[in-house]
Amino acid sequence: MDAVPLCTNFQGGCHVLSLANLFDRVIQHSARMHGISNDLHSEFELYFLPKSQIGRVTRNCHTSNILTPNGKENAQRMARSDLTEVILKLLVAWRDPLWHFHQSMAHHHDFNNFSTNKSLEMSDMVHELRKGVQKVVEKMQMLGIISDSVSNMASPEARLASHSNGWRIMKDYDLLYCFRRDSNKVQNYLKILKCRIVPENGC
Amino acid sequence: MAISSSSLLLLLIIPSLDWLPSPASAFLIDRDHMASPAPSEPHFTECISRDLETFRCWWSPGIYHNLSSPGALRVFYRKKDPATSGWKECPEYVHSNRECFFDVNHTSIWIPYCMQLRSENTTYDDGCFTVENIVRPDPPVSLNWTLLNISPSWLSYDVMVNWEPPPSADIGAGWMRIEYEIQYRERNSTKWEALDVQPHPQRTIFGLHIGKEYEVHIRCRMPAFIKFGEFSDSIFIQVTDVPVQESTVPFTLVLVFGIVGVLILLMLIALSQQHRLMMVLLPPVPAPKIKGIDSELLKKGKLDELNFILTGGGMGGLPTYAPDFYQDEPWVEFIEVDAENADGEEKGDSRGSDTQKLLGVPQSISHHMNVGCSNNVSFPDDDSGQARCYNPDVPERDTLMLMATLLPGQPEDEEASFDVTEGAPALDGGERSLVQTQTPGPQTWVNTDFYAQVSNVMPSGGVVLSPGQQLRIQEGTSATEEERQRKGKDSEDQEKQKELQFQLVVVDPEGNGYNPESSVRQISTPLPGDGYQAIHPQPVETKPAALTEDNQSPYIIPDSPQSTFFAPVADYTVVQELDSHHSVLLNPPPRQSPPPSLPQHPSKAALPVGYITPDLLGNFSP
Repeated sequence: MDAVPLCTNFQGGCHVLSLANLFDRVIQHSARMHGISNDLHSEFELYFLPKSQIGRVTRNCHTSNILTPNGKENAQRMARSDLTEVILKLLVAWRDPLWHFHQSMAHHHDFNNFSTNKSLEMSDMVHELRKGVQKVVEKMQMLGIISDSVSNMASPEARLASHSNGWRIMKDYDLLYCFRRDSNKVQNYLKILKCRIVPENGC
Repeated sequence: MAISSSSLLLLLIIPSLDWLPSPASAFLIDRDHMASPAPSEPHFTECISRDLETFRCWWSPGIYHNLSSPGALRVFYRKKDPATSGWKECPEYVHSNRECFFDVNHTSIWIPYCMQLRSENTTYDDGCFTVENIVRPDPPVSLNWTLLNISPSWLSYDVMVNWEPPPSADIGAGWMRIEYEIQYRERNSTKWEALDVQPHPQRTIFGLHIGKEYEVHIRCRMPAFIKFGEFSDSIFIQVTDVPVQESTVPFTLVLVFGIVGVLILLMLIALSQQHRLMMVLLPPVPAPKIKGIDSELLKKGKLDELNFILTGGGMGGLPTYAPDFYQDEPWVEFIEVDAENADGEEKGDSRGSDTQKLLGVPQSISHHMNVGCSNNVSFPDDDSGQARCYNPDVPERDTLMLMATLLPGQPEDEEASFDVTEGAPALDGGERSLVQTQTPGPQTWVNTDFYAQVSNVMPSGGVVLSPGQQLRIQEGTSATEEERQRKGKDSEDQEKQKELQFQLVVVDPEGNGYNPESSVRQISTPLPGDGYQAIHPQPVETKPAALTEDNQSPYIIPDSPQSTFFAPVADYTVVQELDSHHSVLLNPPPRQSPPPSLPQHPSKAALPVGYITPDLLGNFSP
């Protein structure tokens, strides 16, 4: 897709953000998302989880089939476009499960409003973050940093992950656990990308 | 997932972290305040990652001392990675620490690790974790502080502490993000003050006290994670009393406020005492004031109105209830001549004349002198130029002396009441002789120049008035010296001096008191008892009308009209009288030789009251 900025013809009427600026916004967003997921996970662990189940992940996360670099060096060695694609896959994979999680939490009156609001916010943030990363990808493609082959729904893995129902049978606690982990991945990957491509403004 | 009822109760209770941990929970929960007793069996004490790239695990044999030897206990791990399976042994042992070290190649993030502590036969401990959850970053390095400011009260100050992130954390690559918690306490205190966690490598501490020493340390944490790293080494902050150089600021403030206060006080004083200050700084300058007459009339060009008023204006002179024009000048003094005495005077009798009164000569002064003041306030000011408000019964000697010398006296009729002995104790006989200008006999009078030029001052105090009268004065002076030797004894002298009388400007409110002879043109004296008039002498030719009113001349004709002396004209010449042709007579001609140019009144010689302006001098002929 040919993403042309809408206001190239305007003079001074359109504020075009730089890539570093876009990256900063996205990274802030992902950090907040990870923070919310961490809060929800801790609350769940404290209030609703029997002690015997702490730390025991009974099932794999539904995103386990997405290949993600598991270390710093692996992430740094990975190509930018591949890393970007991983990010997008992860974000796509979590949109539906989080929405349903919020729905289930809202229906359970045991959860206080604070947690319910957080789950809603978390669900929205995934959606917003995905769109933000999409903008970053377009900017990078316009600048020629990455190839044009990156798309959010292109790979079969992404489609599989998003359409899988594996998440439906996951328990709430496992869901939260998995999302907390994946949001941390997204945050780290985005930071590595930024410090590799546009290292200014603090890295 | 079923929410048990016990979980509902937990919702209402703020949870504490002090619950019994499971054996492998050492990896999972951050237990800074762990109070649980260590298990007696061999167990993992802790697994920690410092940089999110490697991690270590430590174990303890517990009380099983036989297992404390190296190799007795072994660590096995398993990654829940789909690609790998099976237990592996610790890749690197550090037996001195009872530590198992996993290097970069064996560390995977976001993948659960399960650890097991095994001896030969049994598994004593196991637990699972993910590496990002066991990260405890290293403490920051290079701590230092700078003083920001000190409070004005010199009691507290603010400090900026800054540091650098731990070198082990790869922040440059963006792999780790770190946030800091700074804690400080007083040197002797046990409780630490913790400030909020924030990701910037500097922090301001507010409100530290002067003189106390503070200890500061910092620890690190990954954002949105629980576990903190170790505290850094402490730094010590202390600010002692600063030297007094700054204390000049409050001193200058005090000085400024003091000066401002004093200025305000002075202003208030000046405002409240405004009138008095004005009186002291700018004393009022005397100007001719005639009671009952507006000072506007005394100016040039208004002689008509003035004469009208003075002559009564159809109402018989100035009303006694003359309007007070000088109400706002309390220091104004008017010289008044008693009008009653003037009425009682005989023709030609200059008893109680103004000259007498002014000079303090005999009882005329004591009786008739009527120095009035416009109000009760009297300012004994020598510079005022006014006659003083003093007790007429006791005239002052020096004043009298001066006046006596200044005014060449005019002898009077013998009939003139000249009771020397009465009521004039201070008068010297010599004074009389000074003014004695005439041998006794028929009443003669000389030109008494009302204004005379003082040409010389005698060492004895006498004043030489003008060249023409010098002789007279000298005579008087010698006589004075003789007389003074016989001061206060001779009635003979007094008798002689009885004859002397001074005549001054006649002041007659009616204008007709003194001189019943209507043939004598008189100067109308309008004031009820006032002595001086400053009548601006008008050119005779131009203002005949003023003069002919009431058939009176603007000059005062003394009561004793004879003049035997004719003095040459002094520099200041007094217009004596006006003749029928309205020409001005400067000196009344002596009886013996009346100058034909000066038709004089046979019996009268007018004493002028006014003064001559320079532009009018030409009109007068000597």
